[in-house]
Amino acid sequence: MNSIISDIRETARQLLADGKVDVVIGYEKGSLPLKATPCFVRSPQDADKLIWDETCENNLAAFATKTAGKKAIVAKGCDSRALVVLMQENQLVKDDLYVIGVSCQGVIDKKKIEAETGEILEAIIAEGKLSVKGIACDKEFNFIDVKDATCQTCRYPNPVIEDIHIGGSVEVPQQTVAFADVIEMENRTDSERQAYFQEQMKKCIRCYACRNACPMCYCSECFVDCNSPKWLTGGVDRAENLLFQAGRVLHLAGRCVDCGACSRACPQGVDIRALNRKLTKDVSEMYHHEAGISEEVKPALNVYSADDPEAFLVKE
Amino acid sequence: MIMAESQVNVSQPETNEFKPKIAAFLCNWCSYAGADLAGVGRIQYPASIRTIRVPCSGRINPLYVLKAMANGADGVLVSGCHPGDCHYISGNYVARRKFALIQSLLKHVGLEEGRVNFSWVSAAEGGRFAEVVKGVTERVTALGPNNGVFKVADGGGTDE
Amino acid sequence: MKISKEKFGQSFDALTADYQIIAPIADVNGVNYQVVKNFSEVKQDYLNSKLPPKSFLFPQHEKLLSYKKEGKDVIVKNELKVGKTVLFGIRPCDAKGMLLLDKVFKNDAYTDPYYFERRDNTVVIGVACNKIAPTCFCSSMGISPSSSEGSDIFLIDLGDSYQVEAVTEKGKAIAASLVELVELTTEEQAQVDTIKNAQTTSKVDVATITSKLGTMFNHAYWDTLQEKCIGCNACSFSCPTCHCFDISEEVRKNEGTRVRTWDGCMSPLFTLHGSGHNPRNKHEARWRQRMMHKFNYFVQNNGDIACVGCGRCIKSCPVNLDIRQAIDGVNKAELVVE
Repeated sequence: MNSIISDIRETARQLLADGKVDVVIGYEKGSLPLKATPCFVRSPQDADKLIWDETCENNLAAFATKTAGKKAIVAKGCDSRALVVLMQENQLVKDDLYVIGVSCQGVIDKKKIEAETGEILEAIIAEGKLSVKGIACDKEFNFIDVKDATCQTCRYPNPVIEDIHIGGSVEVPQQTVAFADVIEMENRTDSERQAYFQEQMKKCIRCYACRNACPMCYCSECFVDCNSPKWLTGGVDRAENLLFQAGRVLHLAGRCVDCGACSRACPQGVDIRALNRKLTKDVSEMYHHEAGISEEVKPALNVYSADDPEAFLVKE
Repeated sequence: MIMAESQVNVSQPETNEFKPKIAAFLCNWCSYAGADLAGVGRIQYPASIRTIRVPCSGRINPLYVLKAMANGADGVLVSGCHPGDCHYISGNYVARRKFALIQSLLKHVGLEEGRVNFSWVSAAEGGRFAEVVKGVTERVTALGPNNGVFKVADGGGTDE
Repeated sequence: MKISKEKFGQSFDALTADYQIIAPIADVNGVNYQVVKNFSEVKQDYLNSKLPPKSFLFPQHEKLLSYKKEGKDVIVKNELKVGKTVLFGIRPCDAKGMLLLDKVFKNDAYTDPYYFERRDNTVVIGVACNKIAPTCFCSSMGISPSSSEGSDIFLIDLGDSYQVEAVTEKGKAIAASLVELVELTTEEQAQVDTIKNAQTTSKVDVATITSKLGTMFNHAYWDTLQEKCIGCNACSFSCPTCHCFDISEEVRKNEGTRVRTWDGCMSPLFTLHGSGHNPRNKHEARWRQRMMHKFNYFVQNNGDIACVGCGRCIKSCPVNLDIRQAIDGVNKAELVVE
């Protein structure tokens, strides 16, 4: 057991024993290989369930608004950014929150591994390598190659807010080109992009796992559930799926912290992040805003400037 | 329900020529008054738009634009007061950020440029309003009918 | 009796003249059931499809009827269009799932015409599982990776050939069109026996779950079970037996359609009343409903557990809420004396 895990457990134990929090939200070992699962620790003796590794893929900030009482949350960089936005939007009270910050090396993209090995039977992670025993074949991977797409471009591996920091910090990887993935997509022709997104939308089964896994999607009534007006019919038509995803993405503009929880939650492997990343890039370029970096800076769509770009206007 | 208005079917003479239907969301204080002025001034412009009056361009939910496309509008025009002239001081400034993002996202998912249009038209610009509608109509006509990126086939059934 | 895959392929292709054939194919999204025209398109080596085949009998979004107002009249049109269909490559868990769905859509008082119009026109060709996934637990659910229950024709893949068993009358009619059925060799018979003896490695204990759940309506277990659930419908939509739906009207001006859409008990909206009252207002109640419906109510109403152990919900869950652990939790829950 590494020191990060023992430190997380010790911190949780202390917080619960001292009565500082009612619950510690962290990760425990899941029932499937390479899958951690969220866990809620309420007594000091249960703290030994807590783990920390490259399989801790859920964004626990999504549980922060739903869980009553004083809570401590094990937070990666992206989780902490989500907590900042939630506090900015008055969804969380700072006094009720204790952030156990852990620097993150990135999480594993299980889908990428399963595409090669088939369903995973067993997996061992050690020193930047993964030995996977799959139902189709066994294979060894370098962690760097099977890191989630979000983590490949992560610029905030270290928590931006925290009450305690556990383990060392992670050096922010230098990016040669920011938003290279979005630029690649932008450079495709209109019809290529159209085909790409239609292909993606065809896969969507509208289970709303993306929405529910997202810490920023906390509306008590989502527009997709609204029946007056009825924005969506409930059909699984490609166009309707795109309306849902586009509506959601526009609602997340300037708020999305690019944690990738939506894409990882999607049972159908829809590239939801491709839409979110585009608006993250736009907001960053047009309004110089990054969500969840500072509690002082107001969200991009809550403010304006007299000289905001208006290249989108008609030419008449 | 506001959206119902965009579905109003104005009868048009039967020709094979494509006559687009364009949902126009106009702010009450400037662009709607601009459209009114164009009418009062007998300025001719294409009968392609279906006007939906909204209190302020800041009131326009991005979903209005998407839903108009879903319900089969061939194009959308959104227009409000010029920056600095908003009846509610800053509604159009806030709207401007949303509009820029809508436009960018729609292009990204492959909707042709020119289907969804944004402009500022003041209450004094009757002539310009006519020009904007002419321009938008020309662009949408050139693009042809709504290509279905957002259009829900057959009232929302499955398309496969 | 067996048939070579080559000969089977020819019969399969000939069937496309009279039937729409739906079979597993590999696409960008893994293996899924789709309409195929040719046997060569069919994916042979697969564990199971990502989504269950139930949507071919019970579509996610189905038009029941359409209507149009013309003058003073209302013209109503039946939207049911059904052709003869073969579902090929159905795994035993999913075949059993269809038998369970049959019980849902037919009772003493009512038979659902939409479901049964499709069901009666569908022939199920099941194929035994040669490989068993670690998330499969059908053996605990009274099925096995080689059970022919629910299939009209049941095949066992022997590499170059299939062992053929015509299970029902419907199946026998089609099996009669398979030419050149030959006897199995001793080795092949041994291969068949191995496949028939295989069981899932993952197991759950459901021996007493129905009666135990009967005592657990008000139990603290539901509070902890639901905690990490995010309330999406990934589990319900990927379940071969989940069948809850919503009927709504899609109206535009003078015309509209009545549609039936999948719904799921994990959504708070599922039970939300027009008044704003929600009888299942807490997620605890929704998880209790999920477990009760599958392992208690369905057993009481239809005599079977509404879970076939396919493991899809385990794989699709974003937070790894594992139904096997949920069952285990029920077994271990302390009985409360009220």
